[in-house]
Amino acid sequence: MKMRKIVFLASLIILVIVPSVATAFTENSQEFRNVIEQLDMQGHADHDYSTCTIQHVYFEEVLEMLNGGMSEKEILQSYVDEYGQAALRIPATDKSGWIAWGMPFAGLTAGIAVVGAWLKKVKGKAENDTLIHEVKWESDTEREIAEKIFEEERRKHF
Amino acid sequence: MYLIGNITIYLGIVIAAYALIANILGIRKHSKKWIESARGAVLSLIFVSLLASFLLLYFLGTSQFQFEYVASYTSLNLPMVYKLTAFWAGNAGSLLLWTVLLCLYTGILVFSKEKRNPMMPYVSSILLLNILFFFTVMALDGNPFAMTETIPADGKGLNPMLQHPGMILHPVTLYLGYVGLAVPFAFAIGALILRRMDAEWIKLTRRWTITAWLFLTLGNIIGGWWAYLELGWGGYWAWDPVENASFLPWLTVSAFLHSVMIQERKGMLKTWNISLIILSYILTLFGTFLVRSGVLTSVHAFGSGPLGTYFLVFMAFMMLFSIYIVMTRYQLIKKESIPIDSYFSKESSFLLNNLILVAGAFAVFWGSMYPLISEAVTGTKINVGAPYFDSVMAPILLCLILLMAVCPLIAWQKATVERFIKNAIWPLAAGIVSAITLIILGTKGILAVIGLSSTIFMFATHVQEFIQGTRARMRATKENIFRAIYKLIRKNQRRYGGYIVHIGIALIAVGVIASHAYSEEVLKTVNLGESFTIGDYELTFKGLTETTDKGNGIVVADIGTTYRGKDVGTVQPEKVFYESWPEPSTEVAIKTNWKEDLYLVLSSWENREKITLQVKVNPFVSWIWAGGIIMIIGTAVALVGGKTSTVGIWKALRSGR
Repeated sequence: MKMRKIVFLASLIILVIVPSVATAFTENSQEFRNVIEQLDMQGHADHDYSTCTIQHVYFEEVLEMLNGGMSEKEILQSYVDEYGQAALRIPATDKSGWIAWGMPFAGLTAGIAVVGAWLKKVKGKAENDTLIHEVKWESDTEREIAEKIFEEERRKHF
Repeated sequence: MYLIGNITIYLGIVIAAYALIANILGIRKHSKKWIESARGAVLSLIFVSLLASFLLLYFLGTSQFQFEYVASYTSLNLPMVYKLTAFWAGNAGSLLLWTVLLCLYTGILVFSKEKRNPMMPYVSSILLLNILFFFTVMALDGNPFAMTETIPADGKGLNPMLQHPGMILHPVTLYLGYVGLAVPFAFAIGALILRRMDAEWIKLTRRWTITAWLFLTLGNIIGGWWAYLELGWGGYWAWDPVENASFLPWLTVSAFLHSVMIQERKGMLKTWNISLIILSYILTLFGTFLVRSGVLTSVHAFGSGPLGTYFLVFMAFMMLFSIYIVMTRYQLIKKESIPIDSYFSKESSFLLNNLILVAGAFAVFWGSMYPLISEAVTGTKINVGAPYFDSVMAPILLCLILLMAVCPLIAWQKATVERFIKNAIWPLAAGIVSAITLIILGTKGILAVIGLSSTIFMFATHVQEFIQGTRARMRATKENIFRAIYKLIRKNQRRYGGYIVHIGIALIAVGVIASHAYSEEVLKTVNLGESFTIGDYELTFKGLTETTDKGNGIVVADIGTTYRGKDVGTVQPEKVFYESWPEPSTEVAIKTNWKEDLYLVLSSWENREKITLQVKVNPFVSWIWAGGIIMIIGTAVALVGGKTSTVGIWKALRSGR
């Protein structure tokens, strides 16, 4: 019974360890891409990988860290700790980056408010200035005659 | 020759200053003589700027390395076409290009059939102020005819990335757009100075504005195509600050082209339209400032120097001058506008369109400037790269697509909900069906599905507009379908030209969404004869060869390609080692079909039998280029036939509406 337990535990350990060793991260791993896409790489992020030596250094570093067991978040944080927020291609999504992220939408909201107020103003003016006649047909025949006249005018226009 | 070149620059300053003064005297003294003299001076400016340009082309073409500019951007082994395009490869040459285009535009204007228009001396003066500035800047710090201390045996050569057909077209088209925007700006300011608040300036500049917009569109599309083919990172738009600077005026002019329709029909939005055209013009200067100041890191920048300061000062001056003119005429502008009838009308939808376009411009501007702002405020530079712009602009552009989908269905003045629903039902159904189909087909990414189905909704709306219009014509005139379509467009080129532009935008939107959401990428090291797959492609490494061409070393990889099991030939990504340039250059290999691009970069090699390839499958990228061509066709249709009329305004004003 004891022997069976040892075998079971050994198998479990092998099952856990072997796959983690076998699935070493590569440049094609999604986790790697997730990290690389967020790094500014000292302004080299959009350079051609094949000719950019800086990108090569970053790629190797990130792979090393991923294979060393660090998570995506930890890797990004390690770069931020070293170079500050400038290590990343985007402003922080926490409180410190609110202005960067929020300003375009604040601008849009302010624009909507201004246009809304202006529309209300000119619309109000229109209501005061004009009388809008709602057309009411006395009969269907009258409506049909009017539609035929409109159609005739349309043909002339063509 | 050196003397003639320099004389052209200084003569340019003198003539531009004279023409400006002559115009001012002519205006003040109501003297036709002075105005005529100014006009003659403009002709001289064209001659002087063309002479300077031809001289520079001659020096470039004949490799006269005693000139600093020639030695910096060309070399003996450079093909002639790139020796000549080096004209705009550097700061000084591009300033001269800007100047010559400005002189030509001014000449076309002052000798046009509108030359007797009372606005023309003012318009000419504003353009001359620009010309004077550009000649002065060239004389101060951007002289293309400056000499080297010692004559080098060979020049430094042109950056290999610039040795591409894109170099012939992209800068010129963008400059034609940038410079073109000075014309409507000058007319707007001229009209304001003369206190002419009607839409005449819009009528006179409609074609100029559309032409400028056409060139901006063309410039941006060609720039994207060039980047995609040449830069090797697999994208076409990097949200680089200078790219953004060319996108900004495109957005504001797009807003203007829509909002002028409201001014023409209802006499509304006069202040807004003037503000938009001023903003667009200022943004062209802003773009030039960014390229030449070095304040922001960009692949397009010419480097840092005092030129940026000159542009900043000029930009500030023109901005303050414009604001002063608008403020002093504000009460006049406010008069005579016709109120809006309904919230649910084309007028309101155009307002919303303007709001979204300007909000988009603000977002791009904010993102581009944020690194500077953050550094100035907190002392820490925060980068704002492509992921930021993708996130911020995606909802804004989605709103724009949805608005383009509904706007053609909304009537002018007062739309009814019933009529709108009746018209929208089929396009909306097309959008919904496409969304369901995409989900059933297993398309991932809910945002991409929303984007694609909204685009299909927009596309269907426009197709329906064509179908309904054609049917109506066929019913009314008994014409055959082809004649009906032709006459439909011919009778209202402005409207249907605009619709064609929208259809082009739909294709671009599909390309952008699909290539962002569904692109596949792999970095693979392979041995000779080894194969690997990406998407529907199977690639086999067949060999690596080295050749020499004009002193440049070229390494070529032969990659056998099959698509869904069918042999589609060999692709050959290259790496070129230039004799006169320190860094190697990537020559991308692209295999295109209607739905995707196979994009290969030879990344590195250990020996002839082991290479590393960077491979991408970019879906629907060719749709972006096709959409760009359709946009150009649509703009040309609107440009050639559109008529601007202010009759509607006066009719409405007379009837008290």
